[in-house]
Amino acid sequence: MAYGATTILEGIDLDLPKGQVLALLGASGSGKTTLLRLVAGLLMPVAGQVQIAGRTVADPAQGLALPPEKRGLGMVFQDYALWPHLSVARNVAFPLEMSRISGPERAARVTRALDRVGLGAMADRRPSDLSGGQQQRVAIARAIVAEPPLVLFDEPLSNLDRELRETMVDELAQLVAELELSAVYVTHDHAEALALAHRIAVMRGGGIEQLASPAELIDQPASAAVADFLRLGTLLPARRRGGGWVIEGTDISLGHGPGAAEGSAAQVLLPERALGLGPRGPARLEAVVRGQQVRSTGFALTLTIAGTDQVLRLLAPHPARPGEAVALSYSQDALRWFPTGT
Amino acid sequence: MSGRAGTSGTDGSRSFLWISAAGLGLIVALPALFVVLVAIFPGVGSGSLAAPFAHLIATLGDPELLLLGRNTLVLGLGTVGFAALLAVPLAALRALFRVPGALIWDLLILVPFMIPPYIAALSWIMTLQPRGYLQQLTGLHLGPFLFSVPGIMFLMALNTFPVVYFILSRTFETVGARFSDVGRVFGAGPWRAFWRITFPLATPGIAASLLLVFAMTIEEYGTPAALGRRIGFEVLVTGIENRVSEWPIDLPGAAGLSLVLVTMALAAFLVQRWLLNRRDFRILSGKPQAIEKRPLGIWAVPVVALFAFVAALATVIPVLAILGSALSRTISGGLRPANMGLQNFAALLDSGSEGLTALGNSLGLGISTALLAGLLGAITAYAVVKGRGRFRVVLDALSLTPNAMPGVVVAVGIILVWNQPWLPATPYNTPLILLLAYCCILLPQPVRYANAALQQIGDNLEAAARVSGASANRAFARIVLPLMAPSIVTSMILVFAVASRELVASLLVAPIGFETIAVYIWRQFDQGSVGLGMAMAFCAILITTLIPLLLIAVLRRISKNASFSLS
Repeated sequence: MAYGATTILEGIDLDLPKGQVLALLGASGSGKTTLLRLVAGLLMPVAGQVQIAGRTVADPAQGLALPPEKRGLGMVFQDYALWPHLSVARNVAFPLEMSRISGPERAARVTRALDRVGLGAMADRRPSDLSGGQQQRVAIARAIVAEPPLVLFDEPLSNLDRELRETMVDELAQLVAELELSAVYVTHDHAEALALAHRIAVMRGGGIEQLASPAELIDQPASAAVADFLRLGTLLPARRRGGGWVIEGTDISLGHGPGAAEGSAAQVLLPERALGLGPRGPARLEAVVRGQQVRSTGFALTLTIAGTDQVLRLLAPHPARPGEAVALSYSQDALRWFPTGT
Repeated sequence: MSGRAGTSGTDGSRSFLWISAAGLGLIVALPALFVVLVAIFPGVGSGSLAAPFAHLIATLGDPELLLLGRNTLVLGLGTVGFAALLAVPLAALRALFRVPGALIWDLLILVPFMIPPYIAALSWIMTLQPRGYLQQLTGLHLGPFLFSVPGIMFLMALNTFPVVYFILSRTFETVGARFSDVGRVFGAGPWRAFWRITFPLATPGIAASLLLVFAMTIEEYGTPAALGRRIGFEVLVTGIENRVSEWPIDLPGAAGLSLVLVTMALAAFLVQRWLLNRRDFRILSGKPQAIEKRPLGIWAVPVVALFAFVAALATVIPVLAILGSALSRTISGGLRPANMGLQNFAALLDSGSEGLTALGNSLGLGISTALLAGLLGAITAYAVVKGRGRFRVVLDALSLTPNAMPGVVVAVGIILVWNQPWLPATPYNTPLILLLAYCCILLPQPVRYANAALQQIGDNLEAAARVSGASANRAFARIVLPLMAPSIVTSMILVFAVASRELVASLLVAPIGFETIAVYIWRQFDQGSVGLGMAMAFCAILITTLIPLLLIAVLRRISKNASFSLS
């Protein structure tokens, strides 16, 4: 599929099994929202095909471009997009009204959708009377009320503050599971994507960098860029020397690693979760404490590997003094190698 | 391939684009085009492109043009000077100090907006002329000042200075709150803070509002016509009117003069836009915060006296003069209780009277104009704001063009278009021609209001409706239109208020025997029935301004209670 005069998206090929959630994860400008709007019909592709529930809704080659209203979707917007002149109930009823469902059935379904998001009591209020979290719940009720085959989420939680966002992720995950929704979920927050999606497409520069399940993604990132975006740990420059790998510019060994020509370079991911405090592990590193932040879950240390500028981060149970030398251990099996060529 | 690159699926504005293009073409583009065409090709009406520019060059080389242009410029600049003198000190005082009775002064200074300038001019004639009300009350008269160029400037400044006052007091308030207090924290005294920070930051605002006064002055017909003609002081507007309505009729000449006038108005308009869009002024667009205004101390009395003096000149005296004339049985009888009565009102509102007919005509035209201009404005704004393509820039420019077209030029354009002998059918000589003229003059108002409203309506509100299954037209009708409605209705009320008392276009294009409020008042003065004219003026102010303003206030209250948060 491709889109735009200067091609914004190219080579995107995704399919979503029924009842699953696909997350589009990427930084701003990566093309994730554009892709979602193409699916919604708010934009039209110049090449490629979009199918929803087995029906082709856009295919420029055949001159087919269904407008959004013919696609039978639900959508939750980043800015909620609740209509300020309609009550909460009228907002939620709108999609049913458009599909000519009327009378008692409409009322019952609106009540059911509002109850589901815990806002049954707010039906007669105006959207402007509600808090941000409540407005987002109304938007979710509006998206699911017509039981569409596909629900689109466009960064639905990014306007909420952190605590509320964490609660809403749990609620949303539960709702999606209960209703067995098929959904596309756009976000730049990897925690949201990992918590909600069955599969995650990491997007970068208008293409898909990696498509994988959450567990696979954190265990086997496809590239240094993915590892960096997901903040999996420290990316160290490495060089092949004497039949093994060392950190570039030092004699610190990283073990045997994958075979390569003498002198070739690579980037290696040292995952934060593979790193432990103390000298007991299979492989060791000497590090110096540079700073620490007190967190509710422990002490977040910033360290550098002794003799280098390479920064490591580690959550420690005990406080440390800046300048203090500590021993770290890790397993060399946990390292992930990305060749860089030179 | 059907999908053009970048085409939006919510592109529901195709048909609006065409409606808007057709409407603007008929109402704005045609008259504007014909003014230019006829100025260049005087024979274009009979299908001849002969002697291009000959007449225009003759008009431009005419020493009379030089005089008219110079007079217009002098009048504009002089009025700007008087308006600045009246408004700037008052606005600064109002914004930065605790002026006793501030809201009352604001209200009184608002009144000149409600009195059409020609009515204010006529009321000043009644007051200051020899044996006028001033002489009856004090024994003095200011006839020589009234019928002088500075006198005309001063009266026009009294009509226009409220614009400067209201824009500036808001600007001063914002600047005073946000920047001058900061200056004081860093050690500047109140006077230093005002001259070094507040005043320089307010300068673009002052300049922009004064340019607005300049444009209003050079486009105004009533005051120069009522006062200037008596002393032979002609400006471009009156010069154009002469060429259209007096023998020998010189339409190409009128078109040529119109081009000169439009150029001046356009220049003022463009400089004003440029000033307001510059970055250093945009920082002031924030909401004025509630600031601690400083007390006036011993200056309270002179400051209040100044406000009272200006309010008396701008509002109290003209209103009393209108009422005095309207209630006088005979003007020669003067301001004696025995001469007072409601006879003029009775005669005006007598069933079947000319006055009542004129009132009905103006109200009907005002309402029709409001509906037509409001609808076209809303559709145009939608096509421009939400639409795509290069064509919408043309629409935007066309919808703003009347800003630079004074009423007299619109009238000339309409005469030139619809008076062409080869037209099979024409609205000329029917009331419809007035509807076209008023719509052209007033179209920028609803466009501006609808534009502002649409900017507030996020794209996703419409997208959400589309995704929920509403077609483009349905989404417009159910979501966009209701959200725009308060703004559009407000603009329609304003259009009604101005259209129902418009003077110069009405004088020039009204069908024979068809009178509007303004034409009626103007004619009563020419015929010496001043009392009847002023009774009509009073009713006009009441019906066309006071009632609409109350309606707008009610509308604001309602939409505030509904508390739309458009985000």
